[in-house]
This record gives sequence, structure tokens and C-alpha cells, in this order.
Amino acid sequence: MDSILSVQHVTKSYTGHVALDDVSLEVPRGSVYGLLGPNGAGKTTLIRVINRITLADKGRVMLDGKEISVDDIFHIGYMPEERGLYKKMRVGEQAIFFARLKGLDRRDAEKRLRHWFERLGISDWWGRKVEDLSKGMAQKVQFISTVLHEPKLLIFDEPFSGFDPINANLLKEEILGLRDRGATIIFSTHNMASVEEICDHITLINKSRNILSGSVEEIRRTAGGNTFEITHRSSHEVLSEAVGELANVIGESRGVVGGYTATKIDVPRNEDIREVISRLNDRCELRAMQELMPSMNDIFIRAVNGTLK
Amino acid sequence: MKKIYLIVAREFTERVRKKSFIVTTLLMPLFMIGMMVAPSLMMFYGKSEQKQVVVVDKSGFVAERMQSSEEVVFSVQNNLTKEEACQIYNAESGIFGILYINEDVKESGNVQFIINSSSSLMLEELIQSQLKSIVEREKLKERYNIDNLDQMLADVAVPIALNTFENNGTGNEEDMESTSAGINYILGIILGMLLYMVIIIYGQMVLTSVVEEKSSRVIDVMVTSCSPFQLMMGKILGIAAVALTQIAIWAALIIAASKFLIPALFSADVAMSSDAMLQGIMGTLGDTGYIATLFIYLALFILGGFLLYASLYAAAGSAVDSVQDGQQFNTIIMMPIILAMIVMMSVFNDPNSPIAFWASMIPFTSPIVMIARIPFGIPTWEVVVSLVVLYLSFVVTTWLSAKIYRIGIFMHGKRPSWGELAKWLKTK
Repeated sequence: MDSILSVQHVTKSYTGHVALDDVSLEVPRGSVYGLLGPNGAGKTTLIRVINRITLADKGRVMLDGKEISVDDIFHIGYMPEERGLYKKMRVGEQAIFFARLKGLDRRDAEKRLRHWFERLGISDWWGRKVEDLSKGMAQKVQFISTVLHEPKLLIFDEPFSGFDPINANLLKEEILGLRDRGATIIFSTHNMASVEEICDHITLINKSRNILSGSVEEIRRTAGGNTFEITHRSSHEVLSEAVGELANVIGESRGVVGGYTATKIDVPRNEDIREVISRLNDRCELRAMQELMPSMNDIFIRAVNGTLK
Repeated sequence: MKKIYLIVAREFTERVRKKSFIVTTLLMPLFMIGMMVAPSLMMFYGKSEQKQVVVVDKSGFVAERMQSSEEVVFSVQNNLTKEEACQIYNAESGIFGILYINEDVKESGNVQFIINSSSSLMLEELIQSQLKSIVEREKLKERYNIDNLDQMLADVAVPIALNTFENNGTGNEEDMESTSAGINYILGIILGMLLYMVIIIYGQMVLTSVVEEKSSRVIDVMVTSCSPFQLMMGKILGIAAVALTQIAIWAALIIAASKFLIPALFSADVAMSSDAMLQGIMGTLGDTGYIATLFIYLALFILGGFLLYASLYAAAGSAVDSVQDGQQFNTIIMMPIILAMIVMMSVFNDPNSPIAFWASMIPFTSPIVMIARIPFGIPTWEVVVSLVVLYLSFVVTTWLSAKIYRIGIFMHGKRPSWGELAKWLKTK
């Protein structure tokens, strides 16, 4: 796997508590990488270690195979969780200031900014002071400042907090757009819905440790226990008899629209699913059958509680 | 360098455009002009009308020698009793008061001044000194039988002119520059106070600015775009530029106002006297070369003093979470500044005392003490050594402050361990 960023055995402790305990992870180039975890798990500390805002006690962070340097940091796009904008400054000027700090010249910065402001529908705010903006508005400005210089690596800390669903969606689209244009995006969140929609890979951090890492597809498949939901018009008993020893019926059936019944069955991995389907087809009035994937939310909760298989 | 420039430019333009900056920049000269004009205004408009004083002299020799002046006119009514005089010359009479001189004034010195409205210190002093000299002369004449005493005294009266010169080793009156402790004193105080104000006001601006940046978390974005040293230096230099701009505007406004505004607004008399005050100071300062040197020294000490303290203020700001917490550090930083002010006051008694010398060499007090000493004529080598020490210590404190700053800006509530501090000091 070609990884752009690699965190190796990072440990960080403050007086009295350990914030990161031997955390390692690999961020594939061109991916959208989610850092998940409950509040206080150490996500922000990890991001700050990557950014060299905090130094790790042990371990190292590699960018493109070399230990990350201060100069590398200056080229990363970083959006902190608590939005940092100068309150008294006007929006446009402030965005230009940050862009120039990141190395763009004034004209180029202004051109790109006008484009982005239009795109996110905030052109009217150019001359307003930051202190007059709402949290969500300020966040859009901050987002633009973060991505304006087109960094190859972007780090967002809780990018969706403070956004209404419409704007959160807008932001998701923009993040995916950035990935399509070649950027690698790391973001931390505890909003699981956003993870399913946009993340390719995740790392789940709990109590300062990396407890689960990998691609979203893979994790869901492994976590899923071969559970299927069958929609049919037979009785519970008929169905149980039909699958027999090949599968276990889970719980009671429940009625769904159109006079159909839905029943969940658990098929052990060594059984052939086609055999199950054929039996059901013979003996029941089968309408539909689908594999049930656990939601990331389930996985998150189960992983944190330690009940994930 | 480009990043420092960007930060300096941002700090500068943001501050200069603030309403508070514009207001103080315009109000301060008004205040200064007020201070310049006030004495002359008081002289011309604050003058009270001539006061009428009735003298009832029972001794027989005082009243005739009382001399009326611009402030007071004496009229003699020796044949009235005290009670009669008080009845006649009451509040409605328009008479200011009655001066009642007892018969035995030569022995007792007893004189009563009965007035209809509130008295003034100036008038009392004037009357008292006249009476004292009249009575003393009379007694002198009587005891030692000197008849022509008045004539003798008039004969020997000489006004003394004390001309102070700076010793240049020749003793030649033409060559020596005249110097006056009075003007040096005023100039020293003005320069010392200016330094004090600049360091305190703008130094605290640095502290507040660092704390605000830290608490608003802009710092996180900033340090992933530039180094903490660039950020700190940019901030300090930006505020230094604001300070110099403000002082330059003040100087220009005050000079312009004393040349054009005051003559236009006030009568020629007032204008001339305030102009004369300025001219008087300028004249005593001597040639333009000296003024230019003074300005260069002033600029160097303001800049050096500000930079030295600003780096301390920046370090202090980085170590706290709120402006209130910063007040504690502020008090500590203020101590040497206040000490410098105290030493400065002693400088005026003896500009070359050991304490004045050392206080103007030690960097934390040197800007204020040295600039106050300079008008008294200090050897150039002393000034140069003081400046070199000042700028060297600025480099040292800035280096140290940058380290503290680097650690401090990311400490929110949690204290760094000593090991952590050591590690930060070692990292670039």
C-alpha cells in the first residue's frame, strides 16, 4: 500500500494521563481517512502530534517516507476543531492573509478566493468582520482558508460540527471533490453517518489506543456476522423448518407492508448460502433476501464496548 | 522573511485602522497643545481684576509706603476705627477688604486683613512681603539711626544673572555652550516619561495580543503556516511600527499646531508666548546638530527599550490563558520600569552619581534612565556602551522568549513537565 502518511508507535503522555498509547496507522495516498473515537479518546492529540504542534514522547510521523519536518507542516492544510480566525478582521482580507502565509501571491489568492466564495455561496461576506459571522459561516471561511493553496494533505478536526445537514452535505461533497483532485484527507469525527458516506479508511481510537484500523468495506464485512433478512409470506414455523439446520432464525418475525413478513436468519460461514436460498425458495413464499451489513455506528459502539468479534 | 513581513503588515494595518488608534492619535496632541497653551491662557485671561484694599494704619508709618500694583490698589483711611471701617466697607461697597495695622506693629508684627470675599494666596503673599520690608526698614532706621537707608539700599541693589556653561576646557565664554539645569530637567522628564509610556502602553499591547491569539485558537492555524519565532517577531515589530507611527504623527501635529493652529485660534499675545516657550526650549538646546543627535538617541532607545520589554511581554502572554492572568506577569515586568522611573528622579539631582551611571548601563532600566541623563551632557562612550548592552540583551531575551513562547502558546490549562520543557528547548 502506498501510504502518504505513516504514524509509527506514537506515545504521548501529559502529567497524570496518557493521551496516546503506542498508536500506529498508515494513511493511503488519495484516501479519505477517518479518525474515529469517543470524546477524549486522543484524536485531537494525534492530529496535533502529526502537525508538530505537540511533540510525541516516543514514536515518529513519516510523510512520504521521510520524517515530517516543519517545512512539510507549512504545506499541509489544517483546520483545527476550535476555529481560529482573527475576530476583528474582515473575512476577505483575512483569507488573503492566510493564503499569502501559505505562499500564494496576492492576485492568485484573491482569484481563487472569489471562486471558492462563490462556490460555497458566501460572496456577500467578503467585507464582513469575522465577529459578525455565525459559527457555521466562520467555519466555511476557515474551510476555504484550509484548502485554498491546494495542499496534497488535508487535516480536518471535527469538520462537521456546527453545520446544519444541508451545509454538512455541501462540505462532504467538497471533501470528496478534493479527493478526486488528488488530495489525501484525514479527518476526525464522532459523526458515524459521515464516515459511511465518505471514508475509505478509518482508525478507531479508544482510551488512547488504536483499537481498529482498515478500509471501511473490510471492517463492515468482517464485523458483519452473515446475517440476512428474508421478506416472505409464510409463517415463522414454516420458515424455521425450511432452513432447518443450515441457519438459525434470530428473534421473532415482524410484519411489513403488503402482508409480508420479515425474518432475520444467521447463516454460519461454512454453510453454502445458495442451499439456503434454494430451500427457502421451495418451501416459502419468498419475496426478497438481503445481507445485513452492520452500520458503522454499531461497529463503533461494539468496538468501544469490546463486544466486537 | 516574507512571512515576518506579512505578519508585521497585518498587525500594523489592523491596529492603525482601529477607531481607538485614530482617537488617541488625535486626542493626545490636543492634550499636549492644551498643556502648552494653558499657562499663557491663564496669564492672559485668568488675570483677575484689580482689587481695592482699604488700609487703616494706626502705626502711622506703613500706609504711606504701601505700593499699589496691577493686582491691588491701596487707599488709606487712617482716621476710621476698625469697627467703622468694617461697617462702611462691607460686601456691597465693592471693596475687597480692609487691612488693619495695629499701633504696635513694630513689636508684635500684628496685622489683620479683613476681607469681603475669598482671599487669594498670591495677594496675601504680596501684602505680607510689602509689610515685612516696610516694617523691617523702619526698625533698621530707628535702631541704628540710619536716615538715608532707602537711598543706600537703592544704591547697592544689583540683579544677579547666573549663567551656567558646560566646561569645554577653554574657559572661553564665547565658545562654551550655555546649559541650564532647568531646561535639562524639563527635557529629561519629558523624554523619560515618553519612554516609560511607550514601553508600558505598547508592551502591554503585545501581551494582550498574544493572549487573544492564543485564546481564540488562531495560533493553531498560524503555527502550521509559520514558525513561532516569525509569529512573535512579526507581532513585536508590527506593534513597534505602530508605536513609531503614532509618535511621529504626534510630533508632526504638535509642531504644526504650535506654528499654525495656535496663532490662528488665539490672540497674538498667547501665540507668541507659547511659541516663545517652544523657542526657548529649542534655543537652549542649541544648534540643530544637537537636536538631531538627541532625536537619533531617542529613536534608538525607544526602539531598544520597547523591543527588550516587548519580548518579555510576549513570553508572559504566551504563558497565560487570559488577560487577567497576564496581569500578574505584567506587575513583575513593570517593577524594573518603575525602578527606572525612581532612579530617573534621582538623576536630576546628580546626573553622574554612581547609581545613575549603573542604572543607565543595566538594560532593564537603561532606556529610561539614560534618555533622561542625555540632556545633561553625557560622554558619548557611555551612551554607546549603554546602547550596545541594550541591543545585545534584546537579542538574548528574544531568543529566550521565543523558546518560552513556543512552549507557552500551546499550553492550555495543563502544565508542561520539566522533561517536556527541556525537550522543547532542544528542538528547532
